[in-house]
Amino acid sequence: MASPQARLSTTAAPRPARTRQDRTRRAGKQRGNLWYALHLPQLQALPESRRRRYLLVLAGLMETCSSDISPHETALVCEVRSALRYFGGIEAIHERLSGAIKRQLREWELPEDFSHAAAPTISGSLLLARAGGGKAVYRRANLHTALQGLPVAVLQPDQEQGRRLHNMGIRYLGDLWRLPVGGLVTRFGSAFVDQLDRALGKAPEAARKYVAPPSFRSVLELPGESLDLDRLLPAAGKLLKRLRDFLVQRDLATGRLEFSLLHERREATELRLELRRPGRSPEHFLMLLQTHLGELELPAPVVAIRLAVSRFDAWLDRDLQLLRNEKGAGADDAGVDHLLEQLQARLGERQIRGIEAVADHRPEYASRDFDQAEGGKAGPDTPVAGPPRPLWLLKEPRRLACRDGQPLYHGPVALLSGPERIESGWWSGDDVRRDYYVGEEENGCRLWVYRERDGGRHWYLHGYFA
Amino acid sequence: MSVTGSRAGCKQEIIEALLRDVPDLWRGHYTAAQGEQGVSTGFPGLDGILPNSGWPSRGLVEIVCPRRGMGELQLLVPLMRALTSQGQWVLWVCPPAAPYAPALVQAGVDIGKLLVIAPGASLRNALWSMEKALRSCRLVLAWQNGLSHQVLRRLQLAANTGNSLAVLFQRGNSGCPYSALRLQLSRAGSAGDEGPRVSILRARGNVRCSGVRLGPEALAGE
Repeated sequence: MASPQARLSTTAAPRPARTRQDRTRRAGKQRGNLWYALHLPQLQALPESRRRRYLLVLAGLMETCSSDISPHETALVCEVRSALRYFGGIEAIHERLSGAIKRQLREWELPEDFSHAAAPTISGSLLLARAGGGKAVYRRANLHTALQGLPVAVLQPDQEQGRRLHNMGIRYLGDLWRLPVGGLVTRFGSAFVDQLDRALGKAPEAARKYVAPPSFRSVLELPGESLDLDRLLPAAGKLLKRLRDFLVQRDLATGRLEFSLLHERREATELRLELRRPGRSPEHFLMLLQTHLGELELPAPVVAIRLAVSRFDAWLDRDLQLLRNEKGAGADDAGVDHLLEQLQARLGERQIRGIEAVADHRPEYASRDFDQAEGGKAGPDTPVAGPPRPLWLLKEPRRLACRDGQPLYHGPVALLSGPERIESGWWSGDDVRRDYYVGEEENGCRLWVYRERDGGRHWYLHGYFA
Repeated sequence: MSVTGSRAGCKQEIIEALLRDVPDLWRGHYTAAQGEQGVSTGFPGLDGILPNSGWPSRGLVEIVCPRRGMGELQLLVPLMRALTSQGQWVLWVCPPAAPYAPALVQAGVDIGKLLVIAPGASLRNALWSMEKALRSCRLVLAWQNGLSHQVLRRLQLAANTGNSLAVLFQRGNSGCPYSALRLQLSRAGSAGDEGPRVSILRARGNVRCSGVRLGPEALAGE
């Protein structure tokens, strides 16, 4: 940078390198990045979450040309200096990217046009792209000239700033640079001025590094086709160890694993492991897989196993500690989670139930069971004193015979206490009008029986005091 | 004199150390605390006749109860109440009827800690679940009849290694030599307000087969 002023020029393309010395000299001079910016004004109208998602997808497309991608409000900027030689110039890179990006925009039914530009600074390339693009500035020294002719609108001033700029007769960036910095800061704020400095490379700028979402996919071919669990499980174990390494390196855990058992000449058998608590222990995954496989009828021998994971969670170390704990007070919840996963894998969905009390006067509605996987209400119920309730309740009350006004089950049932009158539910059309008694059989068994208060005034058995 | 005295004291110490450290030592009629502390059943009368004054801390407990409604589940309610209040889980494997939440809530059991395996499961799956559950639940209740001694032995082993309690409700006496405790419930000859009679059919570390009649507190529905 001996005398940058002397080199000012508005070159739109690099001068071809003539000699080897020339090239090395230029490389030495032009150390630093070249940022290629894509300005997508059509994203502006989208809701923020969608815009962000779209930008990440487009960033993924740009990964073919650059490893350093910085997503912005409605633009993507990527570093291409290192790729220039490989692809053969900025235009070749642009050709390559624009096709893929246009296809993607078409898929989203968005307008396909966007502008692009390249410059040694992120802000500079963004400003150029906003101004309409199509320009490439390769050297810092040339930035000043390239930017000075851009309209001030590219700085995206807010309404007040726009009005001031207009009143001051400032139309182009070049006009701003002629003004004293101190005055600009007081009128437009330091952020506005910083933007200009960053564009010229006078102030450092941070790239917002795009990180591709992780995804794990691994295939292991078996030495020979097999239906034997003893051969499949060690192979799956190897895959799970690879997954563990992948997760450990990224400090992640996962709660969903997708196995595909590949067969010769037929569709793969898909197997999905769902965990109640994300983890990464190969032993635990393997145990679950074993449970799943034990219940699975394989249609054909397996030639290879594929494992794919696309959903990840942050890794929490406390799970491990809980597992190692002795069964102490309340410390075995992790152990129970593992148990529930296993039971669910073996017994099937909806087979593990929890129970909860419901505030309903009708006895058959006062208790409800629910799928443990979905969870019930939280917190313990407070015990309430009241008339006795049996530990077992029959799903359907069982009609009892009656002799001389006394109910009969295996023998006559003596009434010990009652009646407890229960009348409820008339509003739901399922009304209950009953007198409940605690009854005892001659052999000592205690029953919960009731007599209808209307209709046939029949006796019913409704529960056991087990 | 002092020499023999110290020798006797030394012997006494050795014997005490043996009694303390070797829980498997057979001790004849001696039923007081044997190394492991039992878990109180909540019924003082029953605690009084059980070795270690309560439920064994681990192993298989069989409860023989020919009919439903004799207070067989009531026997376990104090234990369930104590365990769930400590945040421990209790698994019910294929109960013969729906556990009734209001009754359990009334008894002070935290039903948020109860898990129930729906009754549709096959015997094979039910036993598999019990074996797995005994590793992470403190208490597993099951209702199965006519299990072979081999199966009962496996359950006893699973409970022992899992440091948990398996309770099996059965209609008849299995005569299995492996379980830690087998109780029989009967109501024969009981007056109306008396609880069931509990007799010990088999208990580890006990040769007496005594029984006790429980008071009305052992009866639900009072």
